[in-house]
Amino acid sequence: MDNSKIGQHISGQFNKELEDVRNKVLTMGGLVEQQIELAVTAFSTGDVEMAELVIKQDNQVDALEMAIDQECMQILALRQPAAFDLRLLITVIKVINELERVGDMAERIAEMAIQLSSADNKHDQYYELEHMAELVQEMLHGALDVFARMNVEDVTSITGLDENVDREYASIIRQLITRMMEDPRNITRMLDVLWIARSLERIGDHACNICEHLIYMVKGEDVRHLTQEELERKMKG
Amino acid sequence: MIRLWFKSGTPWVWLNAAAVSTCLIMVIGVLGLIIVRGVGHFWPTNVVQFSYQEPDGEIRTIIGEHVDTSITPAAMAKSTGYIMADDEDTLVQYLIKTGNRDITGTDFRWILERNVRQQQSPAELMVVERREWGNFYGRLVAIKENGKIIAEGAEAWPAVQTKIDEALAVFKKIAHLEKKEVGAINYSLEQLRLEQKKLQLEGLWDIAAEQRLAAEKTELEVDYKKYQAQLSELYQQIRRDSLVAKTESGSEIEIPLNKVVKIFQPNTMNVFDKIVHYGAKVVEFLTDEPREANTEGGIFPAIFGTVMMVLMMSVIVTPFGVIAAVYLREYAKQGFITRLIRISVNNLAGVPSIVYGVFGLGFFVYILGGNIDQLFFPEAAPAPVYGTPGLLWASITLALLTLPVVIVSTEEGLARIPRSIREGSLALGATKLETLWLTVLPMASPAMMTGLILAVARAAGEVAPLMLVGVVKLAPTLPLDGNYPFLHLDRKFMHLGFHIYDVGFQSPNVEAARPLVYATSLLLVLVIVGLNLSAILIRNHLREKYRALEG
Amino acid sequence: MTAQQVRTHSIDVSSILRGQKGAGEPNETCIKVENLNLFYGEKQALHGVNMEMPKKKVTAYIGPSGCGKSTLLRCINRMNDLVDNVTIEGSILLDNENIYDKAVNVAALRRRVGMVFQKPNPFPKSIFENVTYGLRIQGINDKRVLEETVENALRGAALWDEVKDRLNDNALGLSGGQQQRLVIARAIAIEPEVLLLDEPASALDPISTLKIEELINELKEKYTIVIVTHNMQQAARVSDFTAFMYMGELIEIGTTSELFTNPRKKQTEDYITGRYG
Repeated sequence: MDNSKIGQHISGQFNKELEDVRNKVLTMGGLVEQQIELAVTAFSTGDVEMAELVIKQDNQVDALEMAIDQECMQILALRQPAAFDLRLLITVIKVINELERVGDMAERIAEMAIQLSSADNKHDQYYELEHMAELVQEMLHGALDVFARMNVEDVTSITGLDENVDREYASIIRQLITRMMEDPRNITRMLDVLWIARSLERIGDHACNICEHLIYMVKGEDVRHLTQEELERKMKG
Repeated sequence: MIRLWFKSGTPWVWLNAAAVSTCLIMVIGVLGLIIVRGVGHFWPTNVVQFSYQEPDGEIRTIIGEHVDTSITPAAMAKSTGYIMADDEDTLVQYLIKTGNRDITGTDFRWILERNVRQQQSPAELMVVERREWGNFYGRLVAIKENGKIIAEGAEAWPAVQTKIDEALAVFKKIAHLEKKEVGAINYSLEQLRLEQKKLQLEGLWDIAAEQRLAAEKTELEVDYKKYQAQLSELYQQIRRDSLVAKTESGSEIEIPLNKVVKIFQPNTMNVFDKIVHYGAKVVEFLTDEPREANTEGGIFPAIFGTVMMVLMMSVIVTPFGVIAAVYLREYAKQGFITRLIRISVNNLAGVPSIVYGVFGLGFFVYILGGNIDQLFFPEAAPAPVYGTPGLLWASITLALLTLPVVIVSTEEGLARIPRSIREGSLALGATKLETLWLTVLPMASPAMMTGLILAVARAAGEVAPLMLVGVVKLAPTLPLDGNYPFLHLDRKFMHLGFHIYDVGFQSPNVEAARPLVYATSLLLVLVIVGLNLSAILIRNHLREKYRALEG
Repeated sequence: MTAQQVRTHSIDVSSILRGQKGAGEPNETCIKVENLNLFYGEKQALHGVNMEMPKKKVTAYIGPSGCGKSTLLRCINRMNDLVDNVTIEGSILLDNENIYDKAVNVAALRRRVGMVFQKPNPFPKSIFENVTYGLRIQGINDKRVLEETVENALRGAALWDEVKDRLNDNALGLSGGQQQRLVIARAIAIEPEVLLLDEPASALDPISTLKIEELINELKEKYTIVIVTHNMQQAARVSDFTAFMYMGELIEIGTTSELFTNPRKKQTEDYITGRYG
């Protein structure tokens, strides 16, 4: 299955509308990716200005979400799509919801970054966090890539990363607890950091969800709420 | 400019409109001529008395109706032998109906206008419509009873009115007795004769039968004698009176009242009297039997015969045509043969009608009729029953003639019924026959009626084949009467179309008959219009009922 | 509230979930088509069709024009017998009896398998006569029986309230949608087992179409319904099972929800989503 499928309708207008929705989703994805990127950088460099930019950008993400929602609804009402087209639109509605949540997470990271920058400047202590951020960025990017190419062959390698993210998250929490026990004055800061870790972990989960939606879109099979092993088995068979 | 005008299609519209108006004008012209000529015939015109100088110089009195005027240019008149003065441009001649055929030998004469010395319409001139010898024109002198004069001069006119009414009443009685009662007895006697012969032929003639028939015969004869006595009495009564009249030349003539149909003095009549007279004449024309080689009296038998024949033809042709069309369209396997049959049917419609007449005479009358006579009516031999032209054969021949029309239009009607209707019926578990009978045929009935309308239109106007297979100049009896079996299909009948031909071209007195030809034509048109109108009304009713699904 | 109480009063989701897929209990087969080939002269119009249509369910045939769906439908009540030059191979089992058996009385078969056509085709008679047409053919003339049947059939076709005061009026005076429902009433008056609907709403306006669809939904309580339609949304709305046909072949048959969200064959997908085939 390739993405040229969208362009095969007898109705050219329908083609255009679907293409438009797809492009908007990809734009939104790009925006959200950028948000994460910026938020994480803001956090690691303590750049307050950049963090504020992220917060501001979230309005755009929200606006895009509403616009795409509207468009999908119109297509559903006017064209009564079936089969792949129907699954595409339903998936888009779900995916933009996930993306919006990811955007919210990025916003939260930015907010935390602002708080942390005012407290102190010891950023070199959060290597694991940065590593985790890289992982989830990779996952989100992979998911958006799947959406762009409409090819779910390698989707298990993306969802597989979630385990690594979870492991990182667990180790960060342990680390933060250790620090809090070392010095109770750290607790406020560490809680902020915990929020960031928590947000990144959620982003990973959303990326996984997006992958699952995409599998439904392409293959018409509902693979939600399966374990990684089950998923791999299903994708092979 | 011109090209643009041509392109716009306006000339085309004009051309179409012109064609339609030409047709309209022709139809209106034909109808107008017939109506004007035919309707005028019954109007009582004034009787004129001319003082006329004959070519030999003698002055004579001429009494008659002024019928026609002809104007001939001088040159043409000269070339036909008239002597023309130099200052005369035209020669004017009058056609005068002088009547009195029994005296002068002619009904009409042409007179030259320039030789008319005097022209007046005296009130005392009278017209006597007679049963023989045409009209009488002259003056009433006296009225006689048993040869004795009972009224004379001025008293004669009122006296003749009462006498003529009496005479007409008696005449009516006589006609009724002769036609109905005596006619019925004669018919029964003929039946008895036939029965006797039949029994003899079958070898069942024994004493019992003989006695029975003889008894019946004597009974009838008693009746007959009784009627005969009544009749002779009536005859005496009617022969008693006569009138004496003076002709234009002054000679007196006695006319028995039993020969008189009507006496009137047109010059004294006002418009109202004339209208009454006109109405009476029209009613007489429509309801009476013809007299004087069809040139006088009514044409009721012809109207009756025409309608009867057309109805019989319809009754025969409709089932045949419909059944044939249903088979061709619904049951027959469509292919070369059905196509061939269709072509033949269509071509049959183009065969000259006289050919049908020949076929009808050769096949129906001689072969079929002859065999029927041999098989069923041996007792009538050598007189034919069905082996001679008659109503049945005429109807069948015309049915054959109009069959293609009915077949073609029924087939078209069947073809127009949407498939979905048939399928709807079949899908409800109806067989093909049920579908045809309950749905398809009722829906095709307007088309069948259309076929019938066309058939009636054609059959009612057809004369040529009828002359061979059943129409006669004068039929003594109607094909429908009070004697069992009431409808006598073997009888010959009269027909309006043939009547026109006969009166117009075969009658000894063409001038007298000409207005009658127009009147009869008008009547024929009216009868056809009437028949068609009723069929069209039925069809429209059916159409409304089975308004097809196409709309 | 104890856990025990919660358990007893908890909302039972399982029953809701069970009804969701529409194919809970196994379906009894009503019509079974086996290796059906149909030729119009030399031209083959149906190629080896095999399918089963379950009892008291709606099966829809979809497919492009000329794909043979109407032909297949008309095989079920042997309407194709009327067409010249038709040869039919294979068999169609109605309640396990082959309707193409020589011993089968076609008129009797058609009484069991009613049919409604694309264009409303009421007879040019009164409404009453239209509905009683099938009964009269069977020789039923009892006025009371007829009146009862007419009311039931018209109620069944959701037309009774609209026409009860003018049963003796000409049926052609009804609107298109009413005519079509009348035709359905006419078909159900003889109580068939199966109703074949050949594009029953294609000549109707949207509201009449909806009424017919609603009616189909009610009718499936009592009859096995097979419907041919050009309107895919209509097939999706009214049917339980959908068969997609293409060029005289049965491409795919499945539950309607499955076929319209996730067809197995690419041809089906292309057709229902409006792509170049």
